Amino acid sequence: MGALPVDCRSSASPKPILKMTGHLMNKPADASPREHAVEIRFGQAGLVQLRLHTTDPGSILDELTGRTATAPHFFERTAVCLDLSLLAKPPEVEEIRAVIEIVRRAGMLSVGFAQGGASVEALAIELDLPVFTHIRAPNKPLPVVQAAPAPEPALPALMQHQPVRSGQRVYARNRDLIVTATVAAGAEVMADGCVHIYGPLRGRVMAGVHGDTEARVFCQAFNAELVSIAGVFRVFETIPADLAGVPVQAWLAGEDLRLAKIGE
Amino acid sequence: MTEIIVVTSGKGGVGKTTTSASLACGLARRGKKVAVIDFDIGLRNLDLIMGCERRVVYDFVNVIQGECTLRQALIKDKRLDTLYVLAASQTRDKEALSSEGVRRVFDELTADGFDFIVADSPAGIEKGAHLAMYFADRAVVVVNPEVSSVRDSDRILGLLSSKTLRAEQNNGQVKEHLLLTRYSPKRVATGEMMSVGDVKEILGLDVVGVVPESADVLAASNAGIPVILNEDSDVSRAYEDAVARLLGETVPLRFVDEPKRGFFARMFGG
Repeated sequence: MGALPVDCRSSASPKPILKMTGHLMNKPADASPREHAVEIRFGQAGLVQLRLHTTDPGSILDELTGRTATAPHFFERTAVCLDLSLLAKPPEVEEIRAVIEIVRRAGMLSVGFAQGGASVEALAIELDLPVFTHIRAPNKPLPVVQAAPAPEPALPALMQHQPVRSGQRVYARNRDLIVTATVAAGAEVMADGCVHIYGPLRGRVMAGVHGDTEARVFCQAFNAELVSIAGVFRVFETIPADLAGVPVQAWLAGEDLRLAKIGE
Repeated sequence: MTEIIVVTSGKGGVGKTTTSASLACGLARRGKKVAVIDFDIGLRNLDLIMGCERRVVYDFVNVIQGECTLRQALIKDKRLDTLYVLAASQTRDKEALSSEGVRRVFDELTADGFDFIVADSPAGIEKGAHLAMYFADRAVVVVNPEVSSVRDSDRILGLLSSKTLRAEQNNGQVKEHLLLTRYSPKRVATGEMMSVGDVKEILGLDVVGVVPESADVLAASNAGIPVILNEDSDVSRAYEDAVARLLGETVPLRFVDEPKRGFFARMFGG
């Protein structure tokens, strides 16, 4: 699966800030305008790809903190791979050292570079970081495979048998979440995979929080405040009459969040 | 074996102190040795409801800070032999409480052979409320049949299942009970108020008691007599039922339906 581009433009659209997926998969990455400091892309194995448009620490920090503030714990200690392919000229070691520090201050951890030719190799050796050959810059010849990261093992679903009360938050990292009790109003349940709720759902639910557009939400009695899949979300000020209190599933069709009664 | 019961709610003004006083009295009236402790440091009220405000010399904070013994600070109730009150300090704030100090007081009460410790929690979810619930074996969550109280109670139930000693040590759950207060069957019937069923469904818990809305509560508070001791009142009977249920008895729910008005009452508006 290719990396899923994630738009971090914040001002252009009136849509709420939680909306993260602006592009479809496989769209050329250079579609993003240059005025951004960085671009965040979700790659395989939970690795976040950070495509630098500049090495200016100030603008990177501004953009990153703006992005992570909307969902702080999604990015907490997340592994980040730096992609230098869009920089105008090969950066100096010290510049990259500063970028790594800035990324760390935004809560994420830089673990290596995306494949990008001899200058990146040299930087990687200098900074003692690996180069991920799986993640490569667009329009570059296929590189020689060096060190592929080990695939993340699929974890069994996280089970939640106690009610999730108002103010509580349950997050299933790298897996599905199964809740067999109530999710109260003001509670939040989320997973990198699918979310299944066999009690009444009255709170917020987020599936595919690291960008998995295939993730779905299934619930037994729908009364959610908010449903989000891969960052595309919908707030329910009033529940549509045909969905209220009945079994419902939610999925993503392109950029549309769809909901339907289960069994119809 | 001493059982620690916290009376809590999240929201203020729902009837925690009234409930603490009445449950403590009800348990003591059944021969249990009971200490009721006011955790609302700085906003002391329990002593007023219990009618012992003029006998407070030492308080909970004095005991915790070692300025007096527990025995000196416990105020023996004049009506019930086995009931003791530990008042809050009015001049301090909640920072004066410490987890270590609270544990020491509870240990000492346990060693003294108390059957029940009733902890009257302050409103909110800050330090006072946290320490009141932290050592609890059971919790009576007081809730009014209205949306904000129900949501706050849900929040408190979440804390009870995660921020207590039992939760932290994986030593079983704090046993949770729901107590509805200020319940007006008439207003439920007209759809103005949430019903027992609504609250039970949202919070997913059974109710240990439903206390009707009544002017008797205010009168009893002002007189310094826990309302359970006013035998003429429905409120007293409702609290008595709750005490029985806390002790494991099965008692049918009363005061949840609108009283049927007789023919003459209807005719003459009596």
